[in-house]
Amino acid sequence: MINRILITSIAAVLGLLFSLSLKAQDKLPANWNTEKIRGTRLIPYPSVNGSPYLTGKFLPGEIEFMDGEKIGEINLRYSSYRDEIIYYNTTISTQIVIDKMSLKGFSFKDEDGTLRIFRKQYYNGFMSGNRYFEVLSDGDIALLVYRKVGLETCSPYNDESGKLKNLEYQPNYSYYLYSSDKGYSFVRISKSGLLSKFDKADQILVKKIFRKNHLSVADEVSFIKAWNLIRESRIKVNF
Amino acid sequence: MKRKIKTLLLFLLIVFAGKAQEQLSISLFTDRDVYISGETLLLKVDVPATEKSGIVSIDLINQTGKKITGILKEIVNHEADGYIYLPDSLTSGCYLLRTSVKTSNIQTIKALYISNRFNGLPLTNSGLQPAGITPVKEVQNIGLQVKGIQNHYKTREKVHTDLQIPADLLENIDGNLLVNVSEIIPEFKTPEFTLNSNRQKSTLVDHEGIILEGTVTELRTAKPFKNALVYLSIPDSLPGFQYYITSDDGRFYFQIKNYYGKIPVVIQCYSRGQEQLLKIALTDQDSLKHLMPMFEQQSFPPDLRKKVERNADALTYRKVFNQQEITVQPSPVIRRDIYPFYGIPTNVVDPQLFIDLPNFTEISRELLPGVKFRAFNRIPTLQVLNSAQFNYFTDPPLVLFDGIPTRDLNFIKEMGSKDIDKIEICQNERFFGDLSFQGILAIYSTKADYSRIPATDNLIKLNLDVLQPQAVLNDLPSQEVNNPDLRQVLLWKPLLKPGQVIPIEFITSDIQGTFRMIVRGKTKDGSNFYKEQIFEVN
Repeated sequence: MINRILITSIAAVLGLLFSLSLKAQDKLPANWNTEKIRGTRLIPYPSVNGSPYLTGKFLPGEIEFMDGEKIGEINLRYSSYRDEIIYYNTTISTQIVIDKMSLKGFSFKDEDGTLRIFRKQYYNGFMSGNRYFEVLSDGDIALLVYRKVGLETCSPYNDESGKLKNLEYQPNYSYYLYSSDKGYSFVRISKSGLLSKFDKADQILVKKIFRKNHLSVADEVSFIKAWNLIRESRIKVNF
Repeated sequence: MKRKIKTLLLFLLIVFAGKAQEQLSISLFTDRDVYISGETLLLKVDVPATEKSGIVSIDLINQTGKKITGILKEIVNHEADGYIYLPDSLTSGCYLLRTSVKTSNIQTIKALYISNRFNGLPLTNSGLQPAGITPVKEVQNIGLQVKGIQNHYKTREKVHTDLQIPADLLENIDGNLLVNVSEIIPEFKTPEFTLNSNRQKSTLVDHEGIILEGTVTELRTAKPFKNALVYLSIPDSLPGFQYYITSDDGRFYFQIKNYYGKIPVVIQCYSRGQEQLLKIALTDQDSLKHLMPMFEQQSFPPDLRKKVERNADALTYRKVFNQQEITVQPSPVIRRDIYPFYGIPTNVVDPQLFIDLPNFTEISRELLPGVKFRAFNRIPTLQVLNSAQFNYFTDPPLVLFDGIPTRDLNFIKEMGSKDIDKIEICQNERFFGDLSFQGILAIYSTKADYSRIPATDNLIKLNLDVLQPQAVLNDLPSQEVNNPDLRQVLLWKPLLKPGQVIPIEFITSDIQGTFRMIVRGKTKDGSNFYKEQIFEVN
């Protein structure tokens, strides 16, 4: 009996503490004093074969503003065609293109659960300007990809509504090695492309790493793997 | 089982007891106890390490609790220092310097005596002083030593001292030290005490900036209005903008961060959907009028009148010859934005580059691409072209006048080329948070005079005191030998880094009298310590 009274009183005290802590939290909206997302309404892209987007649907992600403030748990979709990040505002049910000027970068988890990190960087080569680069491997020398999709002419075809069209979205990805002091260096996603970034003597070491790890650099995944292994062995990169 | 329960109860008791002990108060120090109106008061505040608030408010209040002036300071490493200009118009009497934070009900108060520069002390030779209070007790640290200081100095003599801090104390010091050398009246000391106010403790913590809060009510019924759209704008070259949508209680909250000094702020509200007449009011932060200590009559020491008269003359001289007591440091340059909140404009038009046009109708017709401004039947209308769809938006755009949103187009219609510096137009649908605007028309006037916007029931215009910038004491005397040096504060270093031996130097002024050198600090357990050394200058 005494035990029951004691347990009840402890439960009451704990309940009181919990209610007090809850009272301390205001009924304010969670984002009342956070930075607001700025942008414009998404104007639909030409409806042709292929996809202008990197992902098939909106995926939950996080954006980082220029001042370092972050907003997470928002639905994001990267437009490879226009190099813009679109978010779906659930309150007003609108697809909004976030101002590129306001962002430092963004990230989201794709359908496979892989974290995709994008960073806004100034590209000083042909068609200079701020671009969103996907960071494939970060470090002193980063491996970046500009996931551009272009609208290319193709053989005429009839779309779903029967209209005759001769345009389609074609991926035209560009891979770069980037360091803050040396800038960008274009790299081909192939074994020879990777080897070309090393001295003759170092190429032997690189090839040895490939052999040791049974790597054949043929696609993006194997290229990233190879690059990370080379980075670990601290072989000098020429660019 | 019983033992376990007993242990748990004991633990809870300890937790409660610990929580009760957490209520440490702010400590306040001023350079002097007696001031002349027109002087500058220097102050330092030490805040308990447990304090969550990032801003401390320091107000000068009179004996009835009325606020005369006040400042807001950013708390950095649990400390803040600032200054208050004492208005020349203050009548002679006792005033209270009150420090408070939003998250605590405990106020630390320091009593001061301020004598009017022109009238001096009252003829009765007595004044009111707080009574029935428990002064804050501070312990003089015996270990802390001021080496090389003498009991007597001549005027304009260079003083060298070494502050020696024992190793055990040095390890235990939290934050910076304060060193102050100023003239004192030994027989007249004003108390520092704490008061527990009945102010409703805010649950909003002002970590980074000032929090402005208020209520929107319906004008006719005075009931809180739900779903009102409240805008806060700060006119600037890149205007500041925030919004809040009220809920059932009609309350709104804004945080203003990274602004220093005095800034113009406009807060206005609108109903969303059906037009309703609304009233907006800010919550009065100062609700301590009825929580004042008792006062009792006390006679002044015999020397006080003479010293106050001399100091008043000294102040007048300093004012006539423009000898500034402090130098205000420039506010930190903070780049809040790299582009306006309404985006990069599609078009920017400077009407002054074109032929002089008499009104906005003419300007819109002749100079503004994609802007349709009509003023038929005295009800002006405005539409902006949607460049993506090649048609005009059906809803009016967001019209900004010097960065302030306005729905009244009547005062714009009379504006001619001479009144407008530039016009920015956004010909697309813009989004800011959950708000959408069908085009933007931002008008920047030549005079940046937003007084054209009338203050109404739903619009408040404020000149808001935000965070005070840092200031340093001008502790070097006048270089001209024939120019009297009438400084009463010889040294004020509120953020002195602790060390085993700290050399301290200052030069005495032409003021003769009793001076005090005080070193103050705080230990990691939250208690304050000090060491003072009195010397005469003659």
